[in-house]
Amino acid sequence: MRRRAILLLTTSLVMLWGSAALAAISPEAKQKVLTAASKNLIEIGVSYRGDQIHFFGVNPAPGTDLVIKLTAEKDEDIKLSVKGKVGPLWMTVKQYDVTGAPFMYKIHTGKPLDQIVSKETAQELELGYEAIRHKMRMHLARGEAAPDDAEKVFKGMIKIKEEANLFNIVEDPKRLEVAEGKLFKHYFRFPPAATEGRYQVESFCFDKGQLVGYGKDIIEIKKVGLEHWLTYTSQEHPVFFGILAVVVAVAAGLGVGLIFGKGGHH
Amino acid sequence: MEIYLPIAGMSINLFLVVGIGGMVGFLSGLFGVGGGFLLTPLMMMIGIPPAVAAASDSNQICAAAASGAYAHWRLGNVDFKMGGVILAGGILGGTIGVQLVKVLRAIGNFEFVMKVVYVLMLGLVGSAMFIESLRTIRASRGQDPEAAVAAGEPKLARLFAKLPLKMHFHRSGLHTSAIFPFSIGTIVGIMAALLGVGGGFIMVPAMIYIIGMPTIAAIGTDLFQIVLTSANVTLQQAFVNKTVDLMLALILLAGSTIGAQFGAAFGKRLKGEQIRILLAIIVLSLTVKLFLDLVITPSDLVSLAPAKGGGH
Repeated sequence: MRRRAILLLTTSLVMLWGSAALAAISPEAKQKVLTAASKNLIEIGVSYRGDQIHFFGVNPAPGTDLVIKLTAEKDEDIKLSVKGKVGPLWMTVKQYDVTGAPFMYKIHTGKPLDQIVSKETAQELELGYEAIRHKMRMHLARGEAAPDDAEKVFKGMIKIKEEANLFNIVEDPKRLEVAEGKLFKHYFRFPPAATEGRYQVESFCFDKGQLVGYGKDIIEIKKVGLEHWLTYTSQEHPVFFGILAVVVAVAAGLGVGLIFGKGGHH
Repeated sequence: MEIYLPIAGMSINLFLVVGIGGMVGFLSGLFGVGGGFLLTPLMMMIGIPPAVAAASDSNQICAAAASGAYAHWRLGNVDFKMGGVILAGGILGGTIGVQLVKVLRAIGNFEFVMKVVYVLMLGLVGSAMFIESLRTIRASRGQDPEAAVAAGEPKLARLFAKLPLKMHFHRSGLHTSAIFPFSIGTIVGIMAALLGVGGGFIMVPAMIYIIGMPTIAAIGTDLFQIVLTSANVTLQQAFVNKTVDLMLALILLAGSTIGAQFGAAFGKRLKGEQIRILLAIIVLSLTVKLFLDLVITPSDLVSLAPAKGGGH
């Protein structure tokens, strides 16, 4: 299966070989990096515990540097709370509204990003945490601003996201295997915290810092069956869902009472 | 075996949740208390977002109390008039509580306020229980004969009975003011929403020692009002905060039901004072843990405030 996919990619690649690369910055205009994902749809069912997708691809310019980026298609607007000490207690003392930060962000490369692209290119193509910092906007929603807030909030956000395995940057040739300079394979792990939505996996090829190839895969995550129904109902029909939760609970409680005779516990 | 909780938005080990439900059920069977005050903090410790933990516990309590209330109703232990007065307060309190949760979540301090209230309440209840059972143990050994009757005559009951709005409560054999039952119902209702508890450990002593109800009627009536108060809280949490995880509630119910059967059986082998001192120790250690959470520098100073729905 894997071998056939790679074979298919190689042959299609030969046909596309001639497509010219323009000097423009739009990645779509570059030579196509052909990729195949082990699947494009992740379904969240009752026993879902996150998933893993394998990617195979062909580098159109063998020997050049590959950078793979996974992001959620839409950025999220979030609110971050910052804790501070009030008397002896730690509580939220200020909040920032943050826009333009990706919900999920992962990068795989064979060597450190800064050895592959210049700062400007990285910023333009949103590669690396620095590029995210540059792109996202913070706005104080409550509390008093402090000079080091930008740094603190940014680092705090990265930490939360990394702990949830929604963000990571791996600069390791073992993580992005390249055979004979052109066939590459790697995988992305989607943690349970990765919610429903569309995600994109972009493959970039850089030759001495210049973008020469580009490819994109779309991965969709969606809840199915009971999980879909519960989420949908709770969000779209909250009154019905609340009544349902109460009715199910009372029925279950009375059922338990009947089974165990004395009426269970309190 | 992992199970995905749709509202909490996370996957968790099924046996861990059933195990915690079972353990709390065991303790509640043993001690004859609801156990919501143990369940919510334990859910938070395994990573369930605090608001989802509280709301789903309310849902589970609704189920657990229903089975107990049904049994007490059949035995004629429910004072519906008294229950109705407390319930009126409980509905009001629950409604206020859910709005409070909404506001506190928006300003990022729900978890903080929740922990502070837990520490105060559990600290108070735990210490009182600890001291009282120590006294009883000493008294039964003949060292301190007066102490055993210390809790005896309810002075507060006479005081509150003098308030206006007098009503006759046939089942409890009382002619007393409706003001205190309504007020305590409101306070416990607020706590039910904020903490995800039934509040029996406050309500039952208040009914016995302050209102002056017979113990068995207090327990039956409390269970009756808990079913409807927690139903109201569940409904409102689902509507206002969208934090009720039915999947989580049902798993907890399954665990706690089984645990409670073992707890009740095991409880018969222990003496009353031993049981109470054990419960006091559990409550106090939980208080210490929550207190430390409030004073120790958190590992993450920055956290995500909740999105519009769901857990995070």
